[in-house]
Amino acid sequence: MLKLKPKIDFEVSVEAEITPQLATSSLDEISNFQIYYGKEKAKLGDLFEISKEGDDAKLILEGDFSMVKWVGARMDNGEIVVKGDIGDHLGAYMTGGKIVVEGDALDWVGAEMKGGEIVVEGNARNYVGCAYWGDMTGMSGGKITIRGNVSNYIGEKMGGGEIEILGNAGDFIGTEMKDGTITIHGSCGFVGGDMKGGVIKVKGSFEVVPGFKKVEDGFEGDVNVGGKGKITQF
Amino acid sequence: MHHMLHIKNGIVIDPKNNINAEKMDIFVKEGKIVEESEVDVKEAKVIDASNKLVVAGGFDMHAHIAGSKINTGREMRPEEMRTVRLIAGKFRASTGRVLLTAPAIGYEYTKMGYTTAFEAAQPPVGALHTHEELDAIPMIDKAALPVFGNWHFVLKYVAEKEWEKLRAFLAWALERTKGFGVKVVNPGGVEAWMYGGNCKSLDDEVPGFNITPKEIITGLIQETENLGLCHSVHLHCNNLGTPGNYQTTIETMKLASKFSNDKRQVLHVTHVQFNAYAGSSWRDVASGAAEIAKYVNSVDNVTIDMGQPIFGSATAMTGDAPFQFTLHKLTGSRWSNKDSEIEGGAGIVPIAYLPKNPVHALQWAIGLELGLLIDSDKVVLSTDYPNGGPFMEYPYVMAMLMSKKMREKELERVSPYVQKATGLAAIDREKTLYEIIQMTRSLPARIMGMDDTKGHLGIGADADIAIYNLDPLSIDTANDFETVYKSFKTSAYTIKGGEIIAKDGELVKEVWGRTFWVDATSKVSIESIESDLDEMFEKYYSLQRQNYGVEETWLRKPEKLVMG
Repeated sequence: MLKLKPKIDFEVSVEAEITPQLATSSLDEISNFQIYYGKEKAKLGDLFEISKEGDDAKLILEGDFSMVKWVGARMDNGEIVVKGDIGDHLGAYMTGGKIVVEGDALDWVGAEMKGGEIVVEGNARNYVGCAYWGDMTGMSGGKITIRGNVSNYIGEKMGGGEIEILGNAGDFIGTEMKDGTITIHGSCGFVGGDMKGGVIKVKGSFEVVPGFKKVEDGFEGDVNVGGKGKITQF
Repeated sequence: MHHMLHIKNGIVIDPKNNINAEKMDIFVKEGKIVEESEVDVKEAKVIDASNKLVVAGGFDMHAHIAGSKINTGREMRPEEMRTVRLIAGKFRASTGRVLLTAPAIGYEYTKMGYTTAFEAAQPPVGALHTHEELDAIPMIDKAALPVFGNWHFVLKYVAEKEWEKLRAFLAWALERTKGFGVKVVNPGGVEAWMYGGNCKSLDDEVPGFNITPKEIITGLIQETENLGLCHSVHLHCNNLGTPGNYQTTIETMKLASKFSNDKRQVLHVTHVQFNAYAGSSWRDVASGAAEIAKYVNSVDNVTIDMGQPIFGSATAMTGDAPFQFTLHKLTGSRWSNKDSEIEGGAGIVPIAYLPKNPVHALQWAIGLELGLLIDSDKVVLSTDYPNGGPFMEYPYVMAMLMSKKMREKELERVSPYVQKATGLAAIDREKTLYEIIQMTRSLPARIMGMDDTKGHLGIGADADIAIYNLDPLSIDTANDFETVYKSFKTSAYTIKGGEIIAKDGELVKEVWGRTFWVDATSKVSIESIESDLDEMFEKYYSLQRQNYGVEETWLRKPEKLVMG
């Protein structure tokens, strides 16, 4: 198990592609792990206090990590616990393992993730489980749970997996979605534009874009793209 | 500034000078290749090229490297820009997977031993942008071919059969756009596209002008030859990307039969792979490469380049706006349409060539068939970057043309449709290293009319030299294709204008190449078209005539080639 704590209040963002795998390395390797502080190259040991207990693949992040991007990106196993807030791109491209954030997350939580699980106890912002700009498919497997609220663009181009929002969401939920499930326990804005497949379930109020037709248990569309996506209220 | 170089004991292949794998020394002074006697051997920097291949720098005569199309492609494809190639330091930051940033274009050509690349379709009204972008590409020499085939002036003069005026217009336009030669894209078809149509055959009528693509092509060849431009008409045929279009292509090539030129072809047909399909639909599409090869081999006034697709990411971008719309409809991929006033248009569509996709595999096979079946002094190696894929994979194409064994290995991973729809598997031909050097150096230089200074290593040539870790005397290109590929991918040395700019695939020094442009205005009377120019600009352009065009002083390193 590896514990990290920021040594300073970061003035610019830190890009640190740290995964639980790092916890299995030697203290020396961990300390020398290359990250970026703004545009400058830095070592993990320069910016964070490091303590290590045992060799299991587990990362514990203590303190304010809201300026730290790419935590858990491409991780394939192990566990990350964030005991505070976390920055952008949390768990992007991840294929396995689990991330728990006890505070809030920012943009791009689980972007293009293929497997594993992310739980955010607080709020997240935009682009949860989305495709990066220009790419054809967003999240395609695994599960993201946000216990608080989220903002716009949730599950854009989603090709599989599950997103569950316990609070409210903004606009453009499941835009160009192809497969998978998005569940929103609160209310949200526009849902399902250019949706081709998959299911969106909303408990509160929401707005359907014009390309959907009413069916028995909800809406189906988007007919503009010949889609068979499903929107239901529960 | 310019050092003297003594390239020692290299194995030279120089097709223009009939040198085939001879051990010899090359001497360089003031950016030129010179006689030994002109170099103070004690002062010269010695490069030991023992057991290495020494050739002229590569010459890419058809690529899309600058201008509004490629820039729109970059805007449309942020995902392409996420590949980081170089972090800023001694050299500039460069990014891009297939669609590269301007610095990356210069750097990647350099690492591969290429020293010249021409932008193959410059929208005339976008000439300033194109040149500013060319000026941002370091390392290589460059030029741009403005597009003429749908320009209202051309259509008007062809309709009126005002040949002298057409000639004057070509000269005027080349001077204004600082262009190099006459590019023609889907003549008449892009004009028809303004009304939602296309010109798919040579005899379709161009709306509003009462003429046909045949008349446009013939008129432009005739006046390009009358002007005596260094490059011939450079044609992207009508009916591109349609099953059965190989016949249109051959008919088009036949239009050149009444013209001739002692020095070069009178018609260069570009990225022929996209125009070499037999069959009647995408379900029964097949290769028409053998028929095209037969025709091209039988005449000496037509040359072509391959337009070879490379499996992976690519971005289709051509001045053929109606075709790009068809492609967008076919693939469902993103589409952008460009309109360049009364000059033509363009379209951009991202694409990925997949080995298991029957059509993509067919395209891949047709490109190779063209490269293999056509004589090496008539076919240039190209991917029509970025339409067919990255120019960075030219070494793949080189290795494939030289090795049947490699082709057999590759055929195993592509759609079996290739076996029944093309003749690729049955082709035993393996091109030689000499032929590959011809297809990438001496031939493109000759086609562009630059073979006095480019594409060879004779005395007086530009000292643009590539040295590869490949011994032509011992390499078995048919079997050792992996070594061939690796060697051509990164040069041991790339020398540009007598300076070492890359060594073992690492950049050494940033230099700025020249931009060539052609001035033929002294051979015509611009006076004769003054009133037409004024009238058309007044009536149809969104900008004034006095604001149109590019002044030579605005270019970083212009080099004017005066015709006549």
